[in-house]
Amino acid sequence: MEKSKLWIVLSLFITCLISAFALSQVYTTTLPKIEYQRNVAAIKIAFGAVMPGADRFEPTTPDSSVWFAYSGDIRIGTIIRAAEQGYAGLVPVTAGIDTTGKIIAIRVAGSAEGLKETPGLGLKATEPNFGNQFIGRTAQEIRLKNEGGAIEAITGATITSRAVTDGLRKAMEKYQPFLKPETESGVN
Amino acid sequence: MNNAKIFIAAFLVNNIILMRFIGLCPFFGVSTSISTAVGMSAAVLFVMLLAAWVSWVLYHVLLFPLGLVFLRTAVFILVIASLVQLVEMYLKKYLRNLYSALGIYLPLITTNCAILAVTFFNINYKFNLLQATIFALGTALGFALVIILFATIRERLEDAPISPAFKGYPIAFIGAALVSLAFMGFTALFGIS
Amino acid sequence: MNNHPSRLSYLTSGIIKENPILILMIGLCPTLATTVTARDGLGMGVAASFVLICSNVVISAIRRLVPDSVRIPIFIIVISTFVTIIDYVMQAYQPDLYRVLGVFVPLIVVNCIILGRAEAFAYHHGIIDSFLDGLGKSIGFGSVLFVMGALRELFGNGTILNYPLLPTAYRTSPMLFAIFPPGAFFLIGLLKALVNKLGWGR
Repeated sequence: MEKSKLWIVLSLFITCLISAFALSQVYTTTLPKIEYQRNVAAIKIAFGAVMPGADRFEPTTPDSSVWFAYSGDIRIGTIIRAAEQGYAGLVPVTAGIDTTGKIIAIRVAGSAEGLKETPGLGLKATEPNFGNQFIGRTAQEIRLKNEGGAIEAITGATITSRAVTDGLRKAMEKYQPFLKPETESGVN
Repeated sequence: MNNAKIFIAAFLVNNIILMRFIGLCPFFGVSTSISTAVGMSAAVLFVMLLAAWVSWVLYHVLLFPLGLVFLRTAVFILVIASLVQLVEMYLKKYLRNLYSALGIYLPLITTNCAILAVTFFNINYKFNLLQATIFALGTALGFALVIILFATIRERLEDAPISPAFKGYPIAFIGAALVSLAFMGFTALFGIS
Repeated sequence: MNNHPSRLSYLTSGIIKENPILILMIGLCPTLATTVTARDGLGMGVAASFVLICSNVVISAIRRLVPDSVRIPIFIIVISTFVTIIDYVMQAYQPDLYRVLGVFVPLIVVNCIILGRAEAFAYHHGIIDSFLDGLGKSIGFGSVLFVMGALRELFGNGTILNYPLLPTAYRTSPMLFAIFPPGAFFLIGLLKALVNKLGWGR
């Protein structure tokens, strides 16, 4: 162990340098995976809101519009994501649907996630008063009341209400085969 | 979260020793007598505040803007080690009796999980400098409260009839269990969790 | 007493006679905080073992180059490097475990066991011996972490590693005391009393 003053300082400096270098390498190497995990966590939160009781979600279509929700090994429902043009932009809707084709809950992403609809009008689509109307409904019932359906539009925000309703209905009709538990190709 | 809530949370509801389990080594080592407990608490309070400030400033002025967040652990612990070194030199020169009373426990503050934990919490909870100060203060006082409280209990335990297997650490742990149970009563105090 | 302890004894002493948690009484913080379930205790044990073994080996390797006066800061730098490595690796590959362990992952850097072994052993012994010492101590505290976690999970949840072991009647209203902080203190008190009674470390 050399005791020269220079070596004391140098050894500290070199150790710091090596450490910093090693850590920067580890950091850049793990960063993509960490980002991926964060996305997975965000998905769990977003989907968990519409499908309580699920602990795992698997994307089913290549464009990630349909996900299967699992509790353990049992598939307990389907998640459908749709986005229809609203008043000022796309209105993304996420719906949890049980194995009989009825909606469990829906979630309209808020302005923090990019929704551009008008506050006080279209933005009200994110509130429970609007979203709760969808609970228990099947695809046929998802239409605005003045078109024969069961959904009451938000006063003064018909375009946004229609975007949510039609967007979701169209997606449910399009992906109808995925909603029933027996139909998918062996993946359960 | 307003400042009073931050303080109460750090002091009682999420007491660093009894609820978060951080700072246990000195807890069991120093609480054998009230005077060492008080001395240790004072030293911890001092170092914790300083460390909270220095680490907060270093993080927000240097590490984060430069994208060097991954050096956080190393930098924070080195800051603490240096501060403890400085405190040691200061005490040795100006407060000799406190220095000898603390003995080996002073350099042990470096490995006191509580101080490093506070520096991390200040970042994770996104505190500004004032909130960080209040949090550090609350935590240090919570630490002091528990250590001193426990020292009084242990001084009594010294003379109590206890079976040999339980003497020393085991009965101390069980005592801590009971005090911790009492502190659980603070949960949701003022609506904090 | 043997002047040159056999290589094997470096390994085995860490498990019972010099068990870091139950005999040396160091490294207590994670023992109580991260053992709510068996998996968490095991995860914490593995993470800390990684740091202990790696830092022991590295510090032993550079021990002749390190000036005595700055050895503690250099130990700290080495240890915090490995702690940061396991921190980011866990974030990437075991995010659930990372979320549970929280601040205790970076707190590994102040785990008395690791700095203690660096100073007391790795600085004065060869690489292989330091590796064995690290491994022995790791098995020692790792087992305690796992046992604590398993016991707390068993009583507080009726399961171990999520396998239900106790009848459903118990699992519907388990002894939650075990999961909360007081239960942890209580349990380690009992464990330590047991160890005292059995005469470990004497």
